Parts: sequence; structure tokens; C-alpha cells
Amino acid sequence: MIRILRELWLFFWRDLSIARTYRTVFVLEAIEALFGAAMFYYVARFVDTPALQHALPQGGSYFAFSLVGFVFLDYLNAALDTFDRSLEDARDSGTLEHLLITQTSLPVFVAGSAIYPFVATTLRIVVYVAWAAALFGFPLGAANWLAVFAVLLVTLFAFSGLGILSASYLLLFKRGNPAKWFFLGVSSVAGGMLFPVSILPDWLQFVARLNPVTYALDAMRASLLGGAGVVALWRPLAILLLFATVLLPLSMSVFAWSLRRTKITGTLTHS
Amino acid sequence: MPAAAISVESLAKSFPPARSGWRTFFQPFEKPTAVALAGVSFEVREGEALALLGANGAGKSTLLRILATLLVPTRGHARVAGHDTVHQSRDVRRRLGYHAGTDHGFYARLTTRENLLFFGQLNLLSSSAAAQRISQLAEQFQLGEALDRQVRTLSTGTVQRLSLARALLHRPSVLLLDEPTRSLDAIAAAEFRRFLKSEILRHGQTSLLFASHTLPEVELLADRVAVIDSGRLLACDTLSTLKLSTGASSLEEVFLRLTGHDTAASTGDRVV
Repeated sequence: MIRILRELWLFFWRDLSIARTYRTVFVLEAIEALFGAAMFYYVARFVDTPALQHALPQGGSYFAFSLVGFVFLDYLNAALDTFDRSLEDARDSGTLEHLLITQTSLPVFVAGSAIYPFVATTLRIVVYVAWAAALFGFPLGAANWLAVFAVLLVTLFAFSGLGILSASYLLLFKRGNPAKWFFLGVSSVAGGMLFPVSILPDWLQFVARLNPVTYALDAMRASLLGGAGVVALWRPLAILLLFATVLLPLSMSVFAWSLRRTKITGTLTHS
Repeated sequence: MPAAAISVESLAKSFPPARSGWRTFFQPFEKPTAVALAGVSFEVREGEALALLGANGAGKSTLLRILATLLVPTRGHARVAGHDTVHQSRDVRRRLGYHAGTDHGFYARLTTRENLLFFGQLNLLSSSAAAQRISQLAEQFQLGEALDRQVRTLSTGTVQRLSLARALLHRPSVLLLDEPTRSLDAIAAAEFRRFLKSEILRHGQTSLLFASHTLPEVELLADRVAVIDSGRLLACDTLSTLKLSTGASSLEEVFLRLTGHDTAASTGDRVV
């Protein structure tokens, strides 16, 4: 176990060391977050009405509702995108083969490559919310931080499986991220990111109920804006955990199988 | 008789045909038809240096990549220090150092030291053992000045030395080199060969299997030479025995006679 943690740390340290060589990116991202928060604030001011606020699950402002949806999208994007981006970078830089001939196991290699991007995304979201709270009155007073953390963690596990499936697809077919297109596409309509799913027609509400993003977003808003605790959120958390329990081992098996296929076809380093 | 560091038995490898467009989706599942290795068998003894000599596309790199666990053979077995490269790949990797002259695979924005620390620790060296080993190898490979520079600022020759240093970090008992001096200038290549001979092979603790087109390199480093052509092993013996059996006076002539190109004009530059 200690060895695994040490190896995971090594991957994080590698990515952090590389990121430190691009310091201006941190500043630019912080400024970008400011403009992003401002945009949502002014859009919300334009569309917000008492009727709209009443229709929202926590009954708060559209600004808070849409900002949570948007930053959550960033998180979902990271979970879906990180694995195949890391794999693509390793393949293009020629480090993939050298990583695969070390003593590191496949799950550690896959998980290790995702830690820094997840931490960086979390920090970006924190900056986003911090700007929103400091300058535009984003309501943080009611947040249950333990529940927020639990929802984020479970969401990461749940959607990482999809990200690893995407990486498997990349290994086999060299280009494309169908899980990302599908989930971001479906979730942008039937996931409750920028509007509540209650306004959708029945059949799209049915799709939304099958979509784990809906549960993750509901749980996130309930914990961050409504102050719901872990116990109150047991149902969405259990659904997400179930999703993770099925998908993570399945996706690792598919990834291992895909890697073996590329070793059979000789296309491991092909792009 | 010393045990085999590398053992290859009836090793065969075929690849599915390359595809483009929508057919790419079927390529991973297609039947392998392009033969790269057609039943190769040989052994490398402990402490021995064996050269793989063959034209481009002969199957040398495929063979090395199977031994490095980067490819799965279609038929036959390959073992490193008694461990099967498919079923005991982790044990194989523990004993293996791999360096390809064409592919360096470093993190360009990390320093030489950071790269070596990362790969060394992934090969189970503690951070202090890795740091100590890096200092040792930096001295041997004249990498001292490059240690705290980003890899993207280094010359090709330095990166080549760095790549070999990485392959040796965890003190592997078997070293696989695929055209190790391919992108080096004449002086750097000569230094590289001298280093291999004096620092790696002299102690007899490391077995070396290397592919090369450079005949003086093969003559200098190899105890035995394996000649491969179109995926088949044509001969595997000491240079003197190969000369005797083919009636040739040089390694170049041996190669040309064995591969049936002896009527063709000599290459002149002693590179095959």
C-alpha cells in the first residue's frame, strides 16, 4: 500500500513539476475564472425573476444554480478527458513505452496520471467559486463542506470509469473520445446543468433519471447551496457509488485488454 | 555452462495489415498477416554480448520489443532471466534495461535529474538510492553539467547518454539496445561504444542484446553475432566461426553472403 501511494505521489510530483514550468498559466486561469464568474452573474441578472427562482430546486438565484452547473461541467470534463489526454501526451512524447517497462502496475499508471489534473481542476473550481463569492454574492453560508467533498469524490470515481473507457478507445483507435462527446452532449441537455430537468418533456426527464450526472449535480447543489448533509444525500451518493463500483473495474479490465491488443497489433505508439 | 540470460524459442510475430479510413476500426481485430519474425530461436548467456545484424525490416526491433514486454509474440516463447515475457512480464521488467536509439521518451520540461529520479523510483529505487545512483551515472556518462538543465535544452548526444543512463539506473542484469548510436555523431558514437565496453560489459554482470547496422560497433562489442533476414535467423555464432563457415574475410562479407547479397556491390561505409 505504501508503495502504491509513493508511486501515485511520484506521478503527481511529475505533473506538478511540469506545470510549475508554465507559471503564467496559473495567473491566466485565475483571470479567466473571474471573467467566467462575471459572465454568469450578468446573465443571471438578465434572466432572473422571482418565478424562475421559485422553480429552482434550492429556491436560490439563477446565478448560483448556473455557476454550480458550469463548474461541475468542468469537473465532469476533467474526469472524462484526463485519462486519454495523459495517455496521448505519453504516447506523443515517447514516454509511454518507458513507463510501461517500469515496475509500475497498470492501475497505478492510469490513476497516477489523473491525480494532478483532478487536483488542478479542483483548485480552478475553488478560484471560480471564490471570485463568485467575493465579488458577486455567491451564497456559501449554507454550504455543508463535508457533503460537498463527498459528492466531488464520489463523482470523480463514478466518471473516471468513463474516462478510462475513453482512454481504451484511444489506445485501440488512436483518435476520439466518444464517452466525453456522449456524456457531455447528453448531460448538457438532460443533466440539469443550466436549467432544472423538471422543465424537460417526459421522455427527456426519463433520460435525465438514467444519467448519473443528474444525481451528481442535484447532490452538489443540495450540499453547496442547500446545506444538505451526507446522510440526507445518501440516495444520489449510493447511485454514484454503484455507478463507480460497476464502471471502474470494468473500465480497468477494458483498458488492460486494449493495451494487450496494441501489444499484439504493434500499434502501442501509433498516433 | 552459464545459464541463459535471454532465451528465445521458435519466436514468431505477425502484425495485422495497416488500415486507413473507416477500416481502422477493424484493424485491432484483424488476422495478423504481415510476418515480422518467423520462428527465431537463440540464447544469450549471462555476461555475454550478442549483436543482432540485419537489414531494415529484418525483425530486429520487433524481437527486442517482445523481450522488453512491449509486444506480445504470435507464437513461441521469449524468456529473460528465466521469466516469460508474456506471463511474467513484471519479473522480466525488473531485470531489464531498454534503450532505443530513435526514441528517447523524456519529459522535456523536467530536468535531467528530475527525469532520472522519476524513472528510477518507478523502478523501485528509494529516493536516496536513486539520487546516489544518478550521481554515479552522471559521472560515468559525463552528464554532470546536464543534471539540472531541462531535457529540452540538451543535445541529441547528451539525451542519448541520458537514455542509456536511465536504462541502467536500476542495475538491470539484461540490457536491450536498439541501434544505440543511430543519432550520434562519430565522436559521440565512439565514446558511447567505449563506455559500453569498459563500464558495462567488462564486469561480465550485464548481458547485452543489441541491434546495430554499424559493423565496427558489432565487431567491438559483440561476443557473438546473430544474422537475421526477413524474420529468420540465418546464423548465430562468434565472428571468427561465422567467417570460417562462410569463407568470408570480414563481417560485411559474412552478412552479404548469409543474406544472399554477396553479388551486390559492397556498401563501402561498413554499415548494413
